Amino acid sequence: MQQFVQYTILGLVLGGVYFIAASGLVVTYTTSGIFNFSQGAIAMLAAFTYWQFRWGWGWPAPIALFVVLGVLAPALGAVLYQVVMKNLRGTSEVTKIVVSVGVMLGFLALATWIWNPTASSPRRFQKFFGANSIVEIFGVRITWHEIISFVLALGIAAGIRFLFVRTRSGVAMRAVVDDPELLELNGGRPERLATISWAGGAFLAALAGILITPITGSSMSANALTLLVIDAFAAAMFGRLKSLPRTFIGAIVLGLTNYYVVAYSPSSWTWTSAFRQSIPMIMLFIILIILPQDRLRGATVLRTRERFQMPTMRTAWIAALVLIVVVFSLQTIMQPSPMKTLAYGMTLAIIALSLVLLTGLAGEINLAALSFGAIGTIVVFHFGTTGTGLDSRMTLWGIILASLVCALVGAVVALPALRLRGLYLALATMAFGVFVSKMVLSEGNPRRLFGRDFTIFPGGTLRIPRPQVGPVDFNSDKAFLTLVTVLFALLAIGLVAIRHSGYGRRLAAMKDSPAACATLGMSVVRLKLSVFMLSAAVAGLGGVLMSAQLGAVSAERFDIFLSLSLLMVTVVGGIGYASGALMAGLFLGCSLIAMTNTLTKLNVDYASIQAIFAFMISAVTVLPATIGITMGKNPSGAVTDIVKGLNDMKQAKPLMFTVIGLEVGFWLLTATDVLTNWNFVILTAVNLFLVPPIGGAIMKKRAFAKFGILPPTPAEFIGIDRPYTQGDLDEMEIVLGLDALGVAAPVLHEGEPAHAPA
Amino acid sequence: MPLLETVGVKVRFGGNVALDDVSISIEPGTITGLIGPNGAGKTTLFNAITGLQSVSSGSILLNGKDITKFAPHKRARLGLARTFQRLELFTSLSVRDNIRVAGEIRNRWKSIGGGRMDATAEADRIIDLVGLRDVADREVGEIPTGKARVVELARALMIQPNLLLLDEPASGQTEDETEQFGKLLRTLAAEGGLGICLVEHDMDLVMNVCETIHVLEFGRIISSGSAEHVRSDPLVIDAYLGAPESVG
Repeated sequence: MQQFVQYTILGLVLGGVYFIAASGLVVTYTTSGIFNFSQGAIAMLAAFTYWQFRWGWGWPAPIALFVVLGVLAPALGAVLYQVVMKNLRGTSEVTKIVVSVGVMLGFLALATWIWNPTASSPRRFQKFFGANSIVEIFGVRITWHEIISFVLALGIAAGIRFLFVRTRSGVAMRAVVDDPELLELNGGRPERLATISWAGGAFLAALAGILITPITGSSMSANALTLLVIDAFAAAMFGRLKSLPRTFIGAIVLGLTNYYVVAYSPSSWTWTSAFRQSIPMIMLFIILIILPQDRLRGATVLRTRERFQMPTMRTAWIAALVLIVVVFSLQTIMQPSPMKTLAYGMTLAIIALSLVLLTGLAGEINLAALSFGAIGTIVVFHFGTTGTGLDSRMTLWGIILASLVCALVGAVVALPALRLRGLYLALATMAFGVFVSKMVLSEGNPRRLFGRDFTIFPGGTLRIPRPQVGPVDFNSDKAFLTLVTVLFALLAIGLVAIRHSGYGRRLAAMKDSPAACATLGMSVVRLKLSVFMLSAAVAGLGGVLMSAQLGAVSAERFDIFLSLSLLMVTVVGGIGYASGALMAGLFLGCSLIAMTNTLTKLNVDYASIQAIFAFMISAVTVLPATIGITMGKNPSGAVTDIVKGLNDMKQAKPLMFTVIGLEVGFWLLTATDVLTNWNFVILTAVNLFLVPPIGGAIMKKRAFAKFGILPPTPAEFIGIDRPYTQGDLDEMEIVLGLDALGVAAPVLHEGEPAHAPA
Repeated sequence: MPLLETVGVKVRFGGNVALDDVSISIEPGTITGLIGPNGAGKTTLFNAITGLQSVSSGSILLNGKDITKFAPHKRARLGLARTFQRLELFTSLSVRDNIRVAGEIRNRWKSIGGGRMDATAEADRIIDLVGLRDVADREVGEIPTGKARVVELARALMIQPNLLLLDEPASGQTEDETEQFGKLLRTLAAEGGLGICLVEHDMDLVMNVCETIHVLEFGRIISSGSAEHVRSDPLVIDAYLGAPESVG
């Protein structure tokens, strides 16, 4: 009995802290419509900052608390909204999710940068008033810290409810998300309210972070702390991101389950600790199943800012051939080590391609692409290899089986969330990812399943050989690089073919307006399921190849944060394009490694300015997140700009031939050992990034001079730099669509002063 | 038997009653008008009929079959199609593909042998029928709103419905376009036997093409009947139309 009371109290306390974090999510979601994935990271940052003040620098607790909770956290929230989240109005749900994931990854990188995790002494976090300030209630010993946590949770629950229901600003806050423009017309100030709510949300996250860190008892780790607060997602979901009472119930149930499992699971279970860590994610999954169906919504915004223009099949074939030729030529001049890096990047690109299929074409999100890679890898490890030792090879059937299993697992993961909005599917995949990391990849114990002795992930590392198909052996680095490049190219062509097929058009239609699709008779759920399964299969295939490239893989290779980075970088590259996937794979798999290696090398060579290079190495780890965060400003991705640049270049034939000619020249010189590889890379970068803009500028000037025309005036300078013409007015009339309103088109009369019409 | 019948349909949003005891019926081959001030519940009624909004009480019958509990796509498969007041076009597709994909969606659910269509050819035919030839290959986001509404109509026609619900199809159209549009509606009703229900603020169009008009105010039907009847109903003049001289 005493044990029961003890665990009940501990469970209530943990539930209370979950509620504090979850209420922060509800508040920011209610007012800005953005689900704040970075909530956990804010909590983590706050805990670390508090640690720094309190124990690093020895400040008294009240001052440290005031600075963190009263000043820094709200300021962070407000700045986050003003600088990043505000720009997300009018973007798709995908962009919203990716940006807040980007913020999360950025904070994580920042924390690892400032608080080096390999520091000599582990950071410990004391409870309020120390661990020994204990009171006895019903014969159970409770620390003051725990009492404070639970009382705070109750107070916050009452406070927020009062704020939302009884006060004017609370009601206005709820109005923001429904219709900010209408609220503005009624005298409300949505921007200000959203800023305040983000400040409040960050405060709640910070509070949760500081309260929960000592409860867990272990030394501080940025990743673990971030995931800890992510557990609160389940509670917020139970309240459908709206209802605080339901969120409270969800949080308490979550906390209690957590401790009851510890208390009452049989001691013979070897997986209790892993199971305990997965409880929130398992609950999230159950909640998704029991949530009632969402109302079908139309497009939430009239015109999303993301635009993707699919290439024609002909362009796709040409691009694929160019890619294969380029990689083949590179491979002849490459050292083995960069070749391995390139192949790794290429396998990541294949996984990213699964995201392009799912997100770019169908508008759905998978936050755990690499977890499907992990499933595929496990399947291949157990069922897809022949031979032993150095002679072992992956079989074609193994690869096919792995993809099929991934498709089926994908179906199971996606099914509960398909009736709901995209955000819920994203969360379901995230739950799946954490579940795989915690429960599947840590499964090193032998088990008896279906009468067979079985160890899912023996020894923490799986050795995966490279494939052999019939007589063709892909064991050498060269052969394997060629294999993955050709595979990527084929899949990319397949992707473009899908986009041009009826299936692809139906996917696009579903992405743009599920409501319209349903009223045309489409079963949205079935279509979503099919594309998710297809995408999971591709992710599995890519994951298997990634494992084969690495040779031996451990659980960290499939980490949820890696999946998130990959998604983010793909969106930055251009989630609508196969080339976006290629950029993402190469950036994450190659560029980051190459940059870090180069900087590390420079760091050793020029020891006197070591600090600068050390700084830059850390900065590189923050880089992907920083790019991701800026997505709000350019949601269509980098490839859109590049394609535009290439199209411009196609118009300028001499320039195109110059660039290609130079590149071929460099390659010949390198192949004949005149140039070193290093110089080849530098010259290529200059050729690709500097020659086109400079050459373009020169050519443009010449062309204008030749035909005697002035360069075009930007729209805002018409009327200032040169007078209005009838052409300008006609153009304006098309843009404004005045005839549709029954207003006569403006006509410029001779002799009239050249002003803009009112 | 009427094509569509709503019997005492009631829709609540929290404490607000958006539709209260709405009973209308629509016959095949006729055009029915639905008018009333903003916020009267016209779009909500369309949402309730198409299943995008669940009803609190009452029932909806399509061809005599109770579809009150059916999912939207099941209702569409029974021959119900609509357009949206806030445009719901597929913005990543061209005008032609917007229309073609509706045919492709229909082909997926139409039973085998039961008339799969050549979606490309049918889209071409519909494009000519509704007069979208000149913008067929443009991006749907680039065309004027008036044209975009016609694209929604064309898309709805692709699933070959018996009943078509049009939500403010003429707003954003020029006078000429509206006139053409009215003719098109009459042709569709007369030749195809299509039942059409029209929510519209353009009174000329409503009075010209609709055999029957229902007037909604605060979620209730306050008047029903022919154009003449509704036009002279003092309740309607008071609630919506205003004094006779300002009509039109």
